Amino acid sequence: MNNFLTLFTKEFREAWRSLKFVWMPLLFIVLGIMDPLTNYFMEDILGAVGNLPEGFMLTMPELHPIDILSASTSQFQSIGLVVLVATMASAISRERQNGMATLLYVRPISFTALFMSKWAVASLLGIISGVAGYAGSLYYTVLLYGSVEAGAFIKMLGTYCLWILLVMAVTLACSAMFNTAVAMTFAILLLPVGLMIDSIIGSFWSLSPWKLSAYGLQFISGKTSEYYTETLFLTVILIIAAVLLGILYAKRNAATAKI
Amino acid sequence: MITVSNLTKTFGTQTVVSNVSFTLEPNTATALIGPNGAGKTTTLSMLTGLLAPTSGSIEIAGVKDIRREIGFLPQYPQFYPWLTALEFTEMAAKLSGVPGPAAKKEAERVLAFVGLEEAMKKKTATFSGGMKQRLGMAQAIVHKPKLLLLDEPVSALDPVGRREIMNLLKELQQQTTILYSTHILNDAEEMTDQLLFLRKGELVESGSLTEVRAKFEAPRYRIEFVTQEDALQFTSQSQLSATAAGSTVYVEIVEERPKMQQLLERLAASKFAVTKVERVTASLEEIFMKVAGQ
Amino acid sequence: MEELANINWGLIAPLLVVQAILMIVALIDLARIHATNGPKWLWALIILFISLFGPVVYFIAGRKTT
Repeated sequence: MNNFLTLFTKEFREAWRSLKFVWMPLLFIVLGIMDPLTNYFMEDILGAVGNLPEGFMLTMPELHPIDILSASTSQFQSIGLVVLVATMASAISRERQNGMATLLYVRPISFTALFMSKWAVASLLGIISGVAGYAGSLYYTVLLYGSVEAGAFIKMLGTYCLWILLVMAVTLACSAMFNTAVAMTFAILLLPVGLMIDSIIGSFWSLSPWKLSAYGLQFISGKTSEYYTETLFLTVILIIAAVLLGILYAKRNAATAKI
Repeated sequence: MITVSNLTKTFGTQTVVSNVSFTLEPNTATALIGPNGAGKTTTLSMLTGLLAPTSGSIEIAGVKDIRREIGFLPQYPQFYPWLTALEFTEMAAKLSGVPGPAAKKEAERVLAFVGLEEAMKKKTATFSGGMKQRLGMAQAIVHKPKLLLLDEPVSALDPVGRREIMNLLKELQQQTTILYSTHILNDAEEMTDQLLFLRKGELVESGSLTEVRAKFEAPRYRIEFVTQEDALQFTSQSQLSATAAGSTVYVEIVEERPKMQQLLERLAASKFAVTKVERVTASLEEIFMKVAGQ
Repeated sequence: MEELANINWGLIAPLLVVQAILMIVALIDLARIHATNGPKWLWALIILFISLFGPVVYFIAGRKTT
């Protein structure tokens, strides 16, 4: 526990002093408010720059709050996720590669504490960013498209936070297992690219961690997916597996730290 | 006392360290000497616990987890640039088991000891090579380890920095056991109770400086002539096993022959102008070359 | 251009403000950091002229961490 607090302080200082807690939430806020705004102004934008032929009638589909929150979610799940994964994929591997870890690994540290401290800070960063992004999106959604039930929104947000915990556990496990370049490739293939593949051919199955945030979104339209609980359960199991794998490999690869 | 028995490390089919055994007495300094690639760093890595030995053991009398009792300074210590020297040293102390409130005090103490009192609140990103080496020293001793391991502690430093670190080491030697690797023999000569020669992963020679010297001592006479011609002429005429190097001639002594007396008489009888005659013993450098070339 | 003038700028302002903050934070960090991967002036141009992604790419790849 002492080890954990000491290492957590170190990781937090790193994230704080490199301004990650500032720029990452700002990025998510921009991503979150982009869609409600562009959709709202779509007609004006097309009218202004589209040079539409005289008499052309533009029928915009009527958008509901869930459509806007879905659009924002897909921003977080593509651009936001790639940035988050790319930022954290080097968290363990870089220290090994440049020799900074050597001065820690020669001490009687617990690799469980080491992994958990990094996972805690990475998750905190991801969750704060996700919440900030959704808050921005929600503000414009309510302002421009109609109200959203508070309970439903909180359920959706909680579900997204669980997804972030999985994202960070998988990213850090990759970082524990491989060098930075390989870790980043694997984590991006598993997470953002995995989401994309699941959304293209995922109609053949219903139980998949990549569908978790989509199931969470359904709360907004007042429904609860029949697969929600099972997916939630599956996600928790995968988080535990990724964390265990990460701890195991952080320890096993400690000897590869550059001296 | 620290006992290392039959330490071996193989990577695939390559044996990097082979069957190395030695003991380190408390509060002594031991120099691990050998050419590059001799297995010095690998040996130190195993002692730190970072690298698991293929076979063999390392024991510190009366200690269970040796990682608690080891301080390690790598050749090129790398620090987290966003932490200050004090924050880093305090973290190092805590991770080595120094309780929270004492950790900061100890960190301040060792930072003052290594001469970083002024810079302890500065981020390490701004540190020069010499300052990093001193910070590396501070983090290695902050938890008062029984065994201090240093990998080429002064090789990368300028003469002033080297002097400072050597002085720190001499002071530390009063309270802790030191094992350091080096390929710079002057440093080894300056501070060592025991020498360990590594060659191709094997411990080829060990003992105190005097012991090793006695064993490899190649006594000889060194004669300085005024001119190079004289030196060459003496070498060819003398019928001794002599070699000339410029205006200096070395005469080997085999079983105490020739005696100094004989040599002087012969020189006196000759017409050569001589400025100096002395009996010399091998330097560590020469011993090193001999051991390395065995 | 009349349509653009009619746009409710009050709605868009927060988006522009957040992007501006991101840019300023990146520029301040760039000025204070001891070294970057690649020349500093190049990063300054990237931060200034590529909106949103300029600062983000700087934070991911520009800051030197050793």
